[in-house]
Amino acid sequence: MSKARLRIAGGAVYDPGSAEGADGAIRDVCIEDGRIVAELPRDAPKLDARGMVVMAGGVDIHSHIAGSSVNHGRRLLPEEHAADPAPAPPLADPDAVPRSGTGGTIPTTFTTGYRYAGLGYTTAMEAAVAPLAARHAHAELDDTPIIDAGLFALLGNDDYLLRQIAAGEVARARDYAAWVLSAAGAYAIKIVNPGGVERWKAGGRNVTGLDDAVGTGAVTPRRILETLADAVNALELPHPVHIHCNNLGQAGNAATTLETMRALAGRRAHFTHLQFHSYGGERGKSWKSAAKEVIEHVNAHPEVSADVGQVMFGPATTLTADAPVEYLLHASSGKRWVNVDIELETGCGIVPYSYREKAAVAALQWAIGLELFLLAKDPWRVVLSTDHPNGGSFLSYPELIRLLMDRGYRDERLKQVNQKLVAGSTLADGLAREYTLSEIAIVTRAAPARLLGLKDKGHLGVGADADVTIYANDPDRAKMFSTPRHVIKGGVLVVEEGQLRRAPTGRRLRVRPGYDPAVTRDLKRWFDGYACVSFENYPAVELGE
Amino acid sequence: MTKRVVEHATCLGCGCACDDIAVVVDGDRIAEARNTCALGRAWFADGSVPRETRSGGKTVAPDVALADAAKLLGRAERPLVYLAPDISCETQRAAVAIADRLGALLDSPTGEIAAGILASQRRGRAAATLGEIRQRADLVVFWGVDPADRYPRYASRYAVDPAGLQAPDGRNSRRVVAVDVGPSRGAADADERVAIAPEDEIDALALMRAVVLGRGIGDGTVARVATGLATQMMRARYVALVHDAEPSQRGSPLPLPLHPDSGEALIALAQALNGPARCALSSLRAGGNRSGADAVATWQTGFPFAVDFAPGYPCYRPHAGAAVLLARGEIDVALLVGSPAGVPQGVAATLAHVTTIVIGPRASAAPFRPKVAIDTGVAGIHEGGTAFRMDDLALPLRPALSGPSVAADVVRALAARLTKGRS
Repeated sequence: MSKARLRIAGGAVYDPGSAEGADGAIRDVCIEDGRIVAELPRDAPKLDARGMVVMAGGVDIHSHIAGSSVNHGRRLLPEEHAADPAPAPPLADPDAVPRSGTGGTIPTTFTTGYRYAGLGYTTAMEAAVAPLAARHAHAELDDTPIIDAGLFALLGNDDYLLRQIAAGEVARARDYAAWVLSAAGAYAIKIVNPGGVERWKAGGRNVTGLDDAVGTGAVTPRRILETLADAVNALELPHPVHIHCNNLGQAGNAATTLETMRALAGRRAHFTHLQFHSYGGERGKSWKSAAKEVIEHVNAHPEVSADVGQVMFGPATTLTADAPVEYLLHASSGKRWVNVDIELETGCGIVPYSYREKAAVAALQWAIGLELFLLAKDPWRVVLSTDHPNGGSFLSYPELIRLLMDRGYRDERLKQVNQKLVAGSTLADGLAREYTLSEIAIVTRAAPARLLGLKDKGHLGVGADADVTIYANDPDRAKMFSTPRHVIKGGVLVVEEGQLRRAPTGRRLRVRPGYDPAVTRDLKRWFDGYACVSFENYPAVELGE
Repeated sequence: MTKRVVEHATCLGCGCACDDIAVVVDGDRIAEARNTCALGRAWFADGSVPRETRSGGKTVAPDVALADAAKLLGRAERPLVYLAPDISCETQRAAVAIADRLGALLDSPTGEIAAGILASQRRGRAAATLGEIRQRADLVVFWGVDPADRYPRYASRYAVDPAGLQAPDGRNSRRVVAVDVGPSRGAADADERVAIAPEDEIDALALMRAVVLGRGIGDGTVARVATGLATQMMRARYVALVHDAEPSQRGSPLPLPLHPDSGEALIALAQALNGPARCALSSLRAGGNRSGADAVATWQTGFPFAVDFAPGYPCYRPHAGAAVLLARGEIDVALLVGSPAGVPQGVAATLAHVTTIVIGPRASAAPFRPKVAIDTGVAGIHEGGTAFRMDDLALPLRPALSGPSVAADVVRALAARLTKGRS
């Protein structure tokens, strides 16, 4: 099958993201040279999609698939890898070099690419990379085939930024953020527990609220959030600042989450894995759902977007730059624990975990994620994620889709979970909503692409990247979404009749915002004073293009 | 000829991977490598390397050598791919691809520190990048290691002397404790020395952990030492606990194998200290991008060393790695990528008994008489790319000289031949 031309003929097209739109309309989708085109000659090669569902390729807005922290996690999980071998796929091209690997919650790089593609996903964002370690993340992405990928650079606990905030140097903070993004070859700015990781590394306690002092009273989580949200908006980056709030995983943290949203009122901001930040009750005492309060705020504020970070029952690996959280999880669970403090920038914590449906808190977390999905008024602003592998593997997306689309199935599952904490939730009261195929297309590709500012992805309009997934229209939606019949990436048929057949190299997505070069002179001085890597060796990619 | 200087070069003479080296080049030789320690000077030397391509003992054209290598590997029943030091991550990645293709056993010098790696897989780690130790540590405990021997700039560049955010006066902001474990001496520049007999080492670490966890431990001699050390560590703000992860003191007349349980006991202690204080265990690793070998193996296979592709996918064989299978006579052909001189004794000794193909710096000078030897440049001297510091931080390499063949290119060319011969 050549890359040049392909007509996907006669499928039911769900394309909420393009100007033309389509909600199950039967029409052809035409591809030429890796792009969607309006029409092709009649003799162009044809892929029969009659009776099938056609959507753009999936776009994962938040996942952990490559880099230093991910690899620390891989190293920690030999038994998971041994239990999930992944032989090399039989690729069609005799010159191709298919690679074996292993899976588990953190698959090897090649297996990650193959499995994402096998799931119908063609783009994924690695959501937490210390800029210092970006070189490592890029090397892993170079070994992650098929998918287009970008990385989010971790800022908000980095010493240089905190110094600029302390000194009131707003413009310099912005120039620095732009320089870091360029140097790391990153796509967006990610804030993790602003100020909290720095305090943990300094030997103090994690922050608990937006106005806790971080080193000096002039630096607070609130100031960090404002500074970076303003910088992102001033730099006109395609994706708003991507925020992992303070107090992740703590009972009662919804108050912090709402306060964070109010602090940034009027500014574009993306709140990630919102489920982990929507807990009511009181720390150390009681747990309950606060999904309703949180999602009502999101519903009412069009400048806010979120991904859910759904918890799925089964094995997971919690892996985050929010190192103090992992310390607490290790202390309370007694499980294996990796902590790596990363010089001048951030932290890294890892604890393997399992969400059991008979465990009260896990059942509550599961229910809260579903409440967020089902109470969200605008699917364009509340999108699908499991914070892979934190809430569960990306391979659990099809099961999650079934939970959203099939109320009968959801209610049955709800009966099987520990009822202790879910009793008072809106989910237990009965949420009738069922996602439509069009809404699934929104939350798994059209909206993530739009929120990321990826204009050529997430839709099938003319000029879009020819990333297309074709599903058999199975009433069991978990089955349907777990095994697409065909997947096309950049015009190449990668999955054919349910089999991975081609594994082209994916593209790297990055931004190159402008900055006042004066900042580099100041940075050079600061590197000479404190850093353990030469300023000239810090950028992971070539600068100055 | 005028001299030129390559600034910000990264030295792989040890795992410190100092990236502030200025390499002065005169013609086709290195005249000087500024900022280096003695190890670094020896590693850069004048940059001269042999430039031979040999097969069956004769000088041959590169194509012939590659064809012969592909033929030998294609016929192998139980091949080994070994990632020796002094190659970039790019070369390592290409070599793992060959192991995958051949269904080979993949291993590297990381196999020498299997006990420590396995301990970290059971327990996890409490660690930090070297720069974080510089910023934070107010107490540095050298556990049976003086970094001056094998990691000469560790103290001056990272852990002890330089000023950091929370150590504004550098050395004067920190307390340094040297723990001498028998003949394995802690750092010479210490504010306090504590001696522990080698047979008491594991007990001492367990007792220190018990003190940290608030358990009573009695009052024997070891308990008193342990209480003293543990109490200091709990009172510190940020402890750097430093040990040598490599197996023996190079150059010492008696190799001192690590106690197989010391890695685990050190990890457990470092983890427990996070609570009363902050603590990072700093595991010293040798150079030549050894850390890169286990990072690459981990991201491509899920396992850091001793990976067997024979079943058609990666399997972890930590107790049946290269040294064991070679000693048992199970390996018939070995592809060694990297410096033969950096291959651990146990592996090198048995390589003489199998057919070997060596692609790497000074391959033609390998003591075990390879069937095919292709000399390449040294990563960091003649070849660019990426290498890992001992703390898993990836750094760029800035080659000062042009070498013979580029290792990554040669390995990729060999892989291409193996792919073509597949069907």
